[in-house]
Amino acid sequence: MSDLEIGRDDMLSLYRAMVRIRAFENAARRLIGEGAIPARFGFYTGQEAVAAGVCAHLRKEDQIGSTHRALGHLIAKGCDLKRLMAELCGRRTGLNGGKAGPYHVFDPSVGALGANGIVGGSVPMAAGYALSHQLRGDGGVAVAFFGEGASNQGGVQETLNLAAVWRLPLVFVCENSSTDHHLMLGHKMDWPQLSVERVSASAAAYGIPGSTCDGADVREVYGAAGEAIDRARGGGGPTLLEFRVHQLEGNLEGRIEAAAVEWDPIRLFRGLLMERGTFEGEADRIKAEEEAAVREAVDFALGSPEPEPLAAFTDVFGEGI
Amino acid sequence: MSSRTLTYGEALNEALHLEMRRDQSVIVFGENVTSGWRAATRGLLEEFGRERVRDTPITETAFIGAGVGAAILGLRPVVELMYIDFGLVAMDQLLNQMAKTRYMSGGAVGVPMTVRALYGAGTSSGATHSESLYSLFAHMPGVKVVIPSNPYDAKGLLISCIRGDDPTLFMEHSLLYDLAAYVPPEPYTVPLGLANLVREGSDVTVVATGLMVLRAAEAADELRTEVSVEVIDPRTIVPLDEEAILRSLRKTGRLVVVDEDYERCGFSAEVAALAAEKGFRHLKAPVARVATPNVPIPYSPTLERHLLPDKEKIVRAIKNAVR
Repeated sequence: MSDLEIGRDDMLSLYRAMVRIRAFENAARRLIGEGAIPARFGFYTGQEAVAAGVCAHLRKEDQIGSTHRALGHLIAKGCDLKRLMAELCGRRTGLNGGKAGPYHVFDPSVGALGANGIVGGSVPMAAGYALSHQLRGDGGVAVAFFGEGASNQGGVQETLNLAAVWRLPLVFVCENSSTDHHLMLGHKMDWPQLSVERVSASAAAYGIPGSTCDGADVREVYGAAGEAIDRARGGGGPTLLEFRVHQLEGNLEGRIEAAAVEWDPIRLFRGLLMERGTFEGEADRIKAEEEAAVREAVDFALGSPEPEPLAAFTDVFGEGI
Repeated sequence: MSSRTLTYGEALNEALHLEMRRDQSVIVFGENVTSGWRAATRGLLEEFGRERVRDTPITETAFIGAGVGAAILGLRPVVELMYIDFGLVAMDQLLNQMAKTRYMSGGAVGVPMTVRALYGAGTSSGATHSESLYSLFAHMPGVKVVIPSNPYDAKGLLISCIRGDDPTLFMEHSLLYDLAAYVPPEPYTVPLGLANLVREGSDVTVVATGLMVLRAAEAADELRTEVSVEVIDPRTIVPLDEEAILRSLRKTGRLVVVDEDYERCGFSAEVAALAAEKGFRHLKAPVARVATPNVPIPYSPTLERHLLPDKEKIVRAIKNAVR
């Protein structure tokens, strides 16, 4: 999709979503370094265009299922930054009272259901979200985010089939971060994890539409996702979207290695906005606003109380026991 | 008592019809649920239509997961696993996602889902269509485990599970399906966590689940002139009515646990531990377990009979306990 087809406000919203994710993750990295966040986990840096471009088409009543690299999805879907940061810090005011951490955040108020610590684990559940919309006939959709590693999981392939036979309003979004299928978690593997170049090749096996796009270009993501989500809303069934992304993990300070800069979706989009001239000043203002919001989130999290130890025993069951 | 009798399978079927009529959010899916090969789901497609009653592809992970997702959004899926052994194919969705989501989310979401599964040996079905496995699920936090032993409980417990807010594994013994007994026509619930005192006695307490409740009652019948046997059916092992077991133990001082599941780390061990921790001073004899030894279930009826708990083994254990 050319940028001329995306309205000015939508362009700025996409930029804002990406910058918000980046600022939040950079702050989280700092808090890990300082010990305020008690765990290390997967970051989304470099993939922001996918979460932003997909979630721009979603309503609050739509759901996403996410991964163990979930912050981008959760933020783009609208999770409250303060309560999300408090969750990462394990505080009582966290979205899940400190029981979720980065891998299991659930925020039903915005349809973020949820991060998932099992590779491919949220994908079958997303079929259930879609089934619920189909049964209620409310025009809602679900999006299942997963990576190229998860694409091999039985549950993901099974769910592609289930969604196809039931024509579920479900969009599969594979973020393929492996430019070389001999890599897993950045480590060289002797045997590849995929036998094909494109994860989207699976779509043909289930008779559903599939495509592969550049996930560093938010305009491409926005265009492909919009089409798939519209089709799902209209009863046209599932789509498998693959976006090629580059994980720019950087380090705990959030610096991105020089060689990787060319793949940075925010830098690319910002360059485009600058070329257009009309956005002069806007981009900097948005960045400053989002960084301020993240600072507030950090202050909120660090100022929040620890959970009551006895809370460890609650929420196993809803009733009885 | 009315002469209205239903089989165990028909009682389950009545529960599903009643709950689907009562609540639009109740949906049913699984492998071959519309074919009528099992009584429980017979006629549901005809009455409730193909949106709410669906056959699934043979992909347990996908359809259990779809149940989890639908339940999170407030539907009340009743998902059928053809055999509990097939649940092993979908352990991530059952035990990571279904069981833990409420806790992981800090109570932000719940999973009001019922998984029905056939279980049990005695049909020469071999090692992957005969297991009990409920102890495996009971081991994990977050799943309620229900094992009805008769038609009345089957209907009332299933209705409780469907109306409840937690994920439940509902275990149906294949050899109980044709057992017939009085079942009231109206909807009713049997609460989870409430044991049934099947038969009163004073010499020995026998705790048994599912089909083994019948076997324990047969053993008690055989011994009725010699030993006064109290039989307790916990009906649900999560939650477990510990007090009912301890109350009986205080009276009898002797405990035999009959459990079709594997012995090692199983439900029988849990009840024995309960007696050791909270009923030790009342014990007059060692706790005895009659459970399936830790070998896979074989095909040949001769081999299968040799392993499974039965009336004779229970009689021996009871005699040993009161000796």
